[in-house]
Amino acid sequence: MCARCLELSRRSLLIGGGAAAAALAAGTAQARVKPSDMVPLVGPGYKPTERDEIGIWQLMERAEEEISGSNLLIQDPKLTGYLKDLIGTVGGPAAKDFRIYLARIPEFNAMMFPSGFAVVFSGLLLRMRNEAQLAGVVAHEAGHFLRRHQIRSWRDQKRKSDIFSFGAMLAGIGGAGIGAYLGDYVQLAQLGTLMSLFKYSRTMEAEADAMGVKLLAETGYEPMEMARVWYQLIGEEEASARYRRKRRDRGYDIFATHPSSETRMADLKLSAAEVRVPGRRYTTGRDRYLSTIGGFRQTMLDDQVKLNDPGASEYLIRTLAQDGWNGLLRFYEGEVWRLRNQPGDDVRAAQSYSAAVLYPDVPADAWRWHGITLLKEGRTGEAKAAFGRYLTMKPDAPDAAWVRQMIG
Amino acid sequence: MRNRGMVLAAAAGLTLAGCVQSRQYADVQFTPPQGNYKLLVLRPDVTVGSLTTGGMVEPRADWTNQARKSITDAIRAQQATRGGTITVIERRNELPGVTADELAEIERLNAAVDQSIVIHKYLGDYLPTKRGRGLDWTLGADAVRLGQKTGYDYALFLHAEDEVASGGRVALGILGFAGCFIGFCAPNVGGATQLNYASLVDLKTGEVVWFNVVQAGSQIPGIKFGDLRTPGGAQQMVERLLGRMKPGQAVRRQQGAR
Repeated sequence: MCARCLELSRRSLLIGGGAAAAALAAGTAQARVKPSDMVPLVGPGYKPTERDEIGIWQLMERAEEEISGSNLLIQDPKLTGYLKDLIGTVGGPAAKDFRIYLARIPEFNAMMFPSGFAVVFSGLLLRMRNEAQLAGVVAHEAGHFLRRHQIRSWRDQKRKSDIFSFGAMLAGIGGAGIGAYLGDYVQLAQLGTLMSLFKYSRTMEAEADAMGVKLLAETGYEPMEMARVWYQLIGEEEASARYRRKRRDRGYDIFATHPSSETRMADLKLSAAEVRVPGRRYTTGRDRYLSTIGGFRQTMLDDQVKLNDPGASEYLIRTLAQDGWNGLLRFYEGEVWRLRNQPGDDVRAAQSYSAAVLYPDVPADAWRWHGITLLKEGRTGEAKAAFGRYLTMKPDAPDAAWVRQMIG
Repeated sequence: MRNRGMVLAAAAGLTLAGCVQSRQYADVQFTPPQGNYKLLVLRPDVTVGSLTTGGMVEPRADWTNQARKSITDAIRAQQATRGGTITVIERRNELPGVTADELAEIERLNAAVDQSIVIHKYLGDYLPTKRGRGLDWTLGADAVRLGQKTGYDYALFLHAEDEVASGGRVALGILGFAGCFIGFCAPNVGGATQLNYASLVDLKTGEVVWFNVVQAGSQIPGIKFGDLRTPGGAQQMVERLLGRMKPGQAVRRQQGAR
């Protein structure tokens, strides 16, 4: 039956392969996963019973031991307790089994490990505007565990790589037997296998989003906030790229492990509308969120502005300021300009510092930089006053002796 | 004719296919511990998995547990012949007077130092400043403190990972070998591999005094070279890894002069 295929030239085969790949790619514009279809596959106190999953859990035991003892973790009991309560609320049937760790890494990320422990990066806490947004990300991660994604993807990879290896070997031997070169078919099969693995991974992510938004609404959080997280992330990435005079890298969907941010945002909006029950009140929990993470925001902003990504930092500060400007945000707005250090940035930074010191919650360092900029402008008297405020707020600052000597 | 050549090539490949390599380094002043010494073995880091047909590694909890036990037993038996007293710690909180966190710090420090040794001694990024100086790495004051607190003379860190070729992987290799007879020869799809390394730290000075790597692998699935799960395989590995501990350069030169 395949005799005719062998008459095809390599070129026509490759063209055909390209067309097949394109067709597959078009097919990957996958349908949205409906939240109502997402039923948790594990109950409380889940323990693996099958051989491969037991092996993975044992490996994860050591991984968790290392991660839970890492010095990158933020151990503040207020923050860790808050996260634990949060996953305990939106974690569905496994809520009480989850462990959650907070790592001081200034990036937007969170991950769930196969044995049910999650790691959240501090960069995520900085970007979330309210508790519902954070709960949405946490619920998405919980969704991976509840839908048994890790073991399902592992088995999918194992099955597909097994089939491919045998198929490729048989194609080689079969080709040799009939005296034909089947390498192009093997390459095509390899591409197909790879794309199918990526597609599986994207489906899992879509499932986790649907499961997450469902859990969010069930526990009384505003489900629409999850879509807003993606809106904010797209905006940040665009601002970052624009500053570098680049276009935002959207990658190629067919080779991505996650659906694009745009797709996720659009699907989450539709799903949020689906899971909302008319008449029920949904909260964003903004006040509780800000009062819990407030004390830690300075550290997170400090880490962010030092990433040398002024486009993203500025966007982020402006986004957070939509809930109201304050001394902290104004100070770090100034820091973005000062560290960027392009013509005119000194004036912009000076303006931010002088605005920052008008707020009651201003950090001490704002007075220090306000003093330095005043000094540069020749306003010595005002500068001394500013340095005085700095020393009052931070008497044992590392540069206190030098500043005292400056004031004279 | 062409086919016969292929088969011959495959047969030649088979003899080269399973190989065990080992290379050790020691501090120039190092003398292998003998007689009355106290050795602390910090929970051997052992993982055993199954190599799937497609080449993935499936971690196996039961095999790992078997191997951990066999290796621990083998280390005890091997060290007993040297005359030392030995304690093997299975969990971080088992060492009296030392908290789990302190031990974790030492383990992580050692992992970082081991990595540096591997990069600069094994992977080719040789450091000109360390030429002719044998093994010149240290865990510093933390290791000395551990020695003072616990009274041990040496600490041994051991890492072993073993990938056992699954039935499917072996079948794939056999299929590839069968292909040799009709002109498509691919028996060497890659079979079991083993990576073991150990470092010995002198807890009086904090220095890493000896380091050894044993690597074993076969291109052809189905060829075995010691199975860490079995007492025999573990003994063989421990013997390869720890059995032929050589003294440092300066010590050997002295012995040669005498």
